[in-house]
Amino acid sequence: MRKLILGRVLSSFFSLAALVVMVFFLSRLTGDPAALFLPREATQEMLDNFRRLHGLNDPLIVQFGRYVWDLLHLDFGQSLRQARPAIDVVFEGFAWTFQLAAITIALVSIAAIVIGSLAAFRPGGIFDRFASVVSLIGASAPDFWVAIVAIVVFAVNFAWLPTSGTGTVWHWILPVAVLFIRPFGLILQIVRGSMIQSFGSLYVKTARAKGVGNTSIIFVHTLRNAMLPVITVIGDQAAAMLNGAVIIETIFGFPGVGKLMIDSILQRDFNVVLAAIMVTALAIFVMNLLIDIAYAILDPRVRT
Amino acid sequence: MKRSLMLLGAALLSAVHLAMPASAQNASRDVTIVLGEGVDLMEPCMSTRSNIGRVLLQNINETLTEFDVVGDKGLMPRLAESWDQQNDNTWRFHLRKNVKFSNGSDFDAEDVKHSIDRAMSKDLSCETPRYFGSTKITATVVDPSTIDITAEPKQAILPLLMSIVTIVPSDTPVEFVRDPIGTGPYKMTAWNVGQNIVLERRGDYWGDAPQVEKATYVFRTDPAVAAAMVQTGEADIAPSISVTDATNAETDQAYPNSEVFYMRIDQGKPPLQDKRIREALNLAIDRQAFVGTLVPAETTLATAMVPPTTLGFNKDIKPWPFDPEKAKALVAEAKADGIAVDSKITLIGRSNLFPNVLEVMEAIQSMLTDVGLNVDLQMYEVAEFEDIYGKPFAEDRTAQLVAAQHDNARGDPVFSMFFKYHSNGPQSGFSDPKVDQMIEEATAATGEDRAKKWSELFAYLNNDVVADVLLFNQVSFARVNPRVAFKPTIATNSQLQLSQVGFK
Amino acid sequence: MTMTQTLPGTSTQAEVQQKGRIRGVLGMLWRDKFALAATIFLLVVIFCAVCGPMLMGDAALSQNLRGRNAPPFSIANGWFYVLGSDSLGRPLLPRVVVAAQNTMLIAAGAVLCSSIIGALLGLVAGYASSRVGNVILRLADVIMSFPSLLLAVVVLYILAPSVGNLVIVLAITRIPVYLRTTRAEVMEIRQRMFVEAAEVMGASPARIVFRHILPMVIPTLVTIATLDFAFVMLAESSLSFLGIGIQPPQITWGLMVSQGRQYLATAWWLAFWPGLAIILTTMSLNLLSNWMRIALDPTQRWRLEIGGKSNG
Repeated sequence: MRKLILGRVLSSFFSLAALVVMVFFLSRLTGDPAALFLPREATQEMLDNFRRLHGLNDPLIVQFGRYVWDLLHLDFGQSLRQARPAIDVVFEGFAWTFQLAAITIALVSIAAIVIGSLAAFRPGGIFDRFASVVSLIGASAPDFWVAIVAIVVFAVNFAWLPTSGTGTVWHWILPVAVLFIRPFGLILQIVRGSMIQSFGSLYVKTARAKGVGNTSIIFVHTLRNAMLPVITVIGDQAAAMLNGAVIIETIFGFPGVGKLMIDSILQRDFNVVLAAIMVTALAIFVMNLLIDIAYAILDPRVRT
Repeated sequence: MKRSLMLLGAALLSAVHLAMPASAQNASRDVTIVLGEGVDLMEPCMSTRSNIGRVLLQNINETLTEFDVVGDKGLMPRLAESWDQQNDNTWRFHLRKNVKFSNGSDFDAEDVKHSIDRAMSKDLSCETPRYFGSTKITATVVDPSTIDITAEPKQAILPLLMSIVTIVPSDTPVEFVRDPIGTGPYKMTAWNVGQNIVLERRGDYWGDAPQVEKATYVFRTDPAVAAAMVQTGEADIAPSISVTDATNAETDQAYPNSEVFYMRIDQGKPPLQDKRIREALNLAIDRQAFVGTLVPAETTLATAMVPPTTLGFNKDIKPWPFDPEKAKALVAEAKADGIAVDSKITLIGRSNLFPNVLEVMEAIQSMLTDVGLNVDLQMYEVAEFEDIYGKPFAEDRTAQLVAAQHDNARGDPVFSMFFKYHSNGPQSGFSDPKVDQMIEEATAATGEDRAKKWSELFAYLNNDVVADVLLFNQVSFARVNPRVAFKPTIATNSQLQLSQVGFK
Repeated sequence: MTMTQTLPGTSTQAEVQQKGRIRGVLGMLWRDKFALAATIFLLVVIFCAVCGPMLMGDAALSQNLRGRNAPPFSIANGWFYVLGSDSLGRPLLPRVVVAAQNTMLIAAGAVLCSSIIGALLGLVAGYASSRVGNVILRLADVIMSFPSLLLAVVVLYILAPSVGNLVIVLAITRIPVYLRTTRAEVMEIRQRMFVEAAEVMGASPARIVFRHILPMVIPTLVTIATLDFAFVMLAESSLSFLGIGIQPPQITWGLMVSQGRQYLATAWWLAFWPGLAIILTTMSLNLLSNWMRIALDPTQRWRLEIGGKSNG
């Protein structure tokens, strides 16, 4: 286990470095932040001045060298748009996103595993059909539909919940509920499918032949065996959420990292983009490591 | 498992921990304003940006003069009580006395000098220099309540330009600040980035105390949510909701937002260098059919790059009629003369310019195609769009029609005309020596003569050059909670003075 | 469908068996009404995708600003308007039909590319040496953390806007989920007895991977792919706004849904019909793949054969 973690930390460092190099150079191919920061009617003098102030006149490789040097001093640079350290901007957004993602993924995992297992127990049965259809509708419905309809129904018509924003627990209910729907549908389908497959496999039959009761079959043998693809997909969904739930953040006025990332990309605020990518990438790497550790725990035969 | 549960618990707890926000309806003298665009800076010298200006301008930081875009009062005193011209280049401003900044320091001529120097400084990238162009400004303190401002070369509208420079205390550092200090009726007391900004009324303001005691600004990109917030009472004013949500006559009001929507014609590529084709473009579009359908019924047809409240606006110019037959005839005529009327024209739009921009562009494309032009539509995100909109233009481009909005609520065409029509203008699609000369003359003129010169230029551009396809004077909608008295105006796009908000 | 294995024996025997097998499959399909409905719906979608633009291409583009947002369920203006009209007065029924082509091309293109590439890399990562596997996985980490919007903007600036680039962007961003899932399954399956047996008997790695492991992995991948269809159909429209991919007057369901967004309160049908098309397509694909998984699995087939009675 220690070897696994050590090796992973080392190789993740290379991934991160590759990511930074790629993003640094690719993002700078996509246009000039000066033209976006300053008004259209800016004079040439203003443009030159802006580029000078932010070091955009230097050759790209010099800019990169300077960036890496600062990075080694844990300086992620200033945000062009917000005139403060990029990492502060990112941490603020990430804290919100992390909470949102953690709560949602926890709820989704529990719900999908329980309901999916029950559905798989009798494929084609009423419960299975019902769970499948409902979850599939949720998983393929456009999320802004669901979000806006939810606001209109629960906040405007019934006035049970606030429309949007942050502040109280009540503010979290709608965003979490809307964010819940899509991964729930997907993970439920994966759980159901894996479980059906496992039920059909040899060792479950052996266990049955040995006379182990129904419930223990599900939870000891089948579920454990079916978990590998399930946690992989949960991980994928969690990664997507750590990158930010853009639609949810936009509609509910939730100050997460997803909207920050989009705004920063569109406005070419490179330092914020880079800092945001590094922070989310780190989170994703850690999560993938946890998943691999989970593999090893679930199935000791598996080499990771 | 245990650990992840603990993490989850911590996350939940921190969510619960945050305090309840004051509901908008509880306190009678507080308002909540929901804006469509977040605020990334609270820098006084950037208040010409509409998202910053709406929170900051004249609420926190004031200017020497103030232009009345709404009525006909013209240029009004604010921190300057009066001004007079000393010579061609120099104006003297007499400053208001007994004015204090929100940090307690007194307002005097040194602050004005520092504010001007700071806004024009090379160590900052403020927006202010854009309004001065190549004019050099020097401020000379005469005494604590008098200051001379000199422009080189002479600047006919210097007092108007002073309505753009926000005044900050003389000890403000020459770097972007995030806690603006000003002389205005409000001071910023909280800024939770991405969530809200809180302004509170000052007790020691020099002017009449406004009614609103505390204003909370929140940000919602989705206009439907902003509208819902006012409906549920979570907010009091939503200055820009979508026309499709503006369904309640009691709360929703239309107002002109000072944006002009137009298509720039690129005369550098065939077939658009031919005047007949440019006329055909104008005749092919059924502008009136858009009004009340794709654009709000309150929209008016544009006949100039600036809104009608601007100096020198020419009321004699009539919008182009819709005459597809004549357009077809003109295209045929041009074709007979050997003009490559079949060359592809790319109609370029910017996504999210306004809510249903895509449909408007599709309708325009279809109308242009109907008169026999070969038009493709291409939408771009903002950066790529700006790339295409500004010079230098790509050499290998096809002929382009760029649909853009231009906002000039500053009262004088000078802030638009050079940029859009002069041969050296960064967004000009053509080059005409006569236009260049007319712009230069009008820029230098003063008084009646100035208005007349601008008027002539508008007519020449529309009738003789056919420089662009002017479409609409755009309209926005505001939703206002019935308990609040607020009337949105053409100024609301760039500023939202809390002193103009009352209660019923 | 392609998993029907040809059994050893002479060709005539095989043909007869094949026929019988097809009949059996059709019979099972007939008994499962959900799967049957899904199949029929997908056939309709395919028909629309192939013939739609030919049949209704002009109607889908005929604008009429004075007849905009006409409500559905009225055939006063002709049956083209039975689903209502959009904000430019274009009839929605032909638009949904015509949009099927672009939507299917893009969604199928992106999903197929990402699933095939992802699955192949996943097989390698799971079966090859741990060093190779590690490299591939860290690559997946990088893709997973690379924001798709940035990728789209980069592609837009470097390459010209086109539908092909749209497919590339969408495909790249979806690779990691297939890759990681495949690898996870492979790691588990390769420990099983029959794989070890095959290894002992000297089967080549390629044969073991494609013959023994891949068939076990495919059902999970198909489940993900069917739901990815919906994701890709919706994501595509947001990239159109950046300027890459579909530009009006070309249409896709995703573009129609996002154009209808602002009319949700006043003219719900604008976003509803294309949204419904997306939901039904996704659901049909999923129901059919779930059914196939059972129908083609000898250990599960009994469920369907007696399905008529017990499961309804």
